[in-house]
Amino acid sequence: MEVVGIFENLETAGHAVKDLIRAHVQEEDITSLTAVPYPEGVLVHEKDTRSHLQWFALGGGIAGALTGFGLAAGTAWLYPLFTGDKPIVSLFPVGIITYEFTMLFAILGTVFGMFIEMGLPGFLFRVQAPEVTEGMVGISVLCATADERGRIRELLLKAGATRVRTGGVRK
Amino acid sequence: MTERQESKQSVKEMNAAMLSSMEAPSRGWLVLAAALGAVVGWGAYAWGLQLVNGLGVAGINRPVMWGFYIINFVFWVGMSHSGTMVSAILRLTNANWRRPILRGAEAMTVFTITVAAMFPLIHLGRSWKLHYFIPFPNTLGLWPNFRSPLLWDIMAINTYIIGSSLFLYLGMLPDLAVVRDRKQGLAKTIYSILAMGWRGTAREWRVYHKASTLMAALIIPVAVSVHSIVSWDFAMTLVPGWHSTIFAPYFVIGAIFSGIAAVVTLILILRRAFQLEEFLTPGHMDNMGKVLLVVSLLWSYFYFAEVLTTWYGHKPIEWAVFTFTGDAYGFLLGLMVVGNTCITIPALCFRRVRRSGPAMLFISIFVNIGMFTERFLIVVPPLAHRNVPFMWGTYAPTWVELSITAAAFAGFGLLYVLFSRFMPIVAISDVHEGEALRSHHRLGRRTVSTMTEEG
Repeated sequence: MEVVGIFENLETAGHAVKDLIRAHVQEEDITSLTAVPYPEGVLVHEKDTRSHLQWFALGGGIAGALTGFGLAAGTAWLYPLFTGDKPIVSLFPVGIITYEFTMLFAILGTVFGMFIEMGLPGFLFRVQAPEVTEGMVGISVLCATADERGRIRELLLKAGATRVRTGGVRK
Repeated sequence: MTERQESKQSVKEMNAAMLSSMEAPSRGWLVLAAALGAVVGWGAYAWGLQLVNGLGVAGINRPVMWGFYIINFVFWVGMSHSGTMVSAILRLTNANWRRPILRGAEAMTVFTITVAAMFPLIHLGRSWKLHYFIPFPNTLGLWPNFRSPLLWDIMAINTYIIGSSLFLYLGMLPDLAVVRDRKQGLAKTIYSILAMGWRGTAREWRVYHKASTLMAALIIPVAVSVHSIVSWDFAMTLVPGWHSTIFAPYFVIGAIFSGIAAVVTLILILRRAFQLEEFLTPGHMDNMGKVLLVVSLLWSYFYFAEVLTTWYGHKPIEWAVFTFTGDAYGFLLGLMVVGNTCITIPALCFRRVRRSGPAMLFISIFVNIGMFTERFLIVVPPLAHRNVPFMWGTYAPTWVELSITAAAFAGFGLLYVLFSRFMPIVAISDVHEGEALRSHHRLGRRTVSTMTEEG
């Protein structure tokens, strides 16, 4: 279950996070919902900031290079055109096609990896807070039980939340 | 009203101002869209006529077999260059003034490259034979010949279209969530799907920033490769005037030049049409003017280097093309040099000119007239005056080619008009981020604006 408190501004939201931590809420269960990105630690500290995005890009690039090479060189081998003493697999054209496919697949890999790491698309079980895009700040807390949800709700309201939304599971 | 409420109000108001283009269409918008649609329709009719009657309705003929369609292709590919590339460079260098212009520039790339991709199809004549480009064994048992630069073009343009579209979409993701939260009914459902459930969590923002940076770094080499390959369509031949080692960087610089000019033109039009003066300020024009000045200098340098080495070497076969261009197309040559160098460089040295909307609009349009002329002079004179005198000839476009060219401009305009109606034309989250990081500090007797930056 997820509880999202909506706050008027950054300062109140920051204080609310401190209050939650003081009330023994695990910091990894807290995240912020904002209309703009803030530097790490302004609202919450992410425990796990590792990213594998570059590996998705690299993986995509390698797959693209193999595809491009396979397409350009492979088809030349399969359907050889003998022209004088020129090689069947021409280095520069194959290089260019390989390059284009490498870049294309690296881009696709990056976008794919981005959605995987963000956990998107995520239409279900996520509390949407439309106030956030209008400049409010959301503080989201994951709760295991209904009792805990009630306690968090109280804490958020006490910390100055103008509204509290509850819902399914935050991914 | 408290300071906090004022700040909330301003975010709401800023959103409303930046999304003003998405409100119910005005009569002016409808008239403009209909007029552009009519020109596109006329162009489609002209193309249809060509499909039925063959390429004979166009002005291309021996020896000039590449005419307005290829000129348009090179021109539109060039224009597509700067949108994504400028956006990517500004993102990578973290230039804060970039924020309001990103979206307009990125959208321009996607639409110009789409228009560009139409021209090889039109130039084919028998456009229904397009599938011969697709890498699968066709009915004749042939595979596409990857040794041809035309095939490299197909691959590069497809990569660029896909990459630029994803780059545009990625940048729009948080803004689509803003639109989603302001809409109701079916529109809300559509924007919800497009926004993919974006909520703006700390994790989403962190990954988003990393992905944007990575994409920016990946898209720049693709952009460079696209126009290099377009130049190799020419340079790989042994045609005098085309077979030149400098062609790839010269084309890339020319592409950036016309693209930046087009971004300036579009920004000025959007600024006026949707009352975005608050976000697209004279400061942005000033910065874009400086970039345009630098690229104009670079383009002039490349052109000078190309002419100088040909003139100094004085190989008759090469120099004949230059003298022929000067004799037969002197006016166009003058127009190109005036548009790209003589007016642009001196004018953009002045801050007052760079900050003036009308002056920048004039210069940016004139640059693209110059660049279209340059494309004409690259394509036509070398073909019209090749090394065998009995094959010399001339070329003039017919109404079919002119109609299709007009339709291309109208089609680009229509795509842009539709985009501005259905998608956020200003990068909302980027602008908000800029505002959130900006603060005012007292320094001696003045209050100065500063930007917060993470070390």
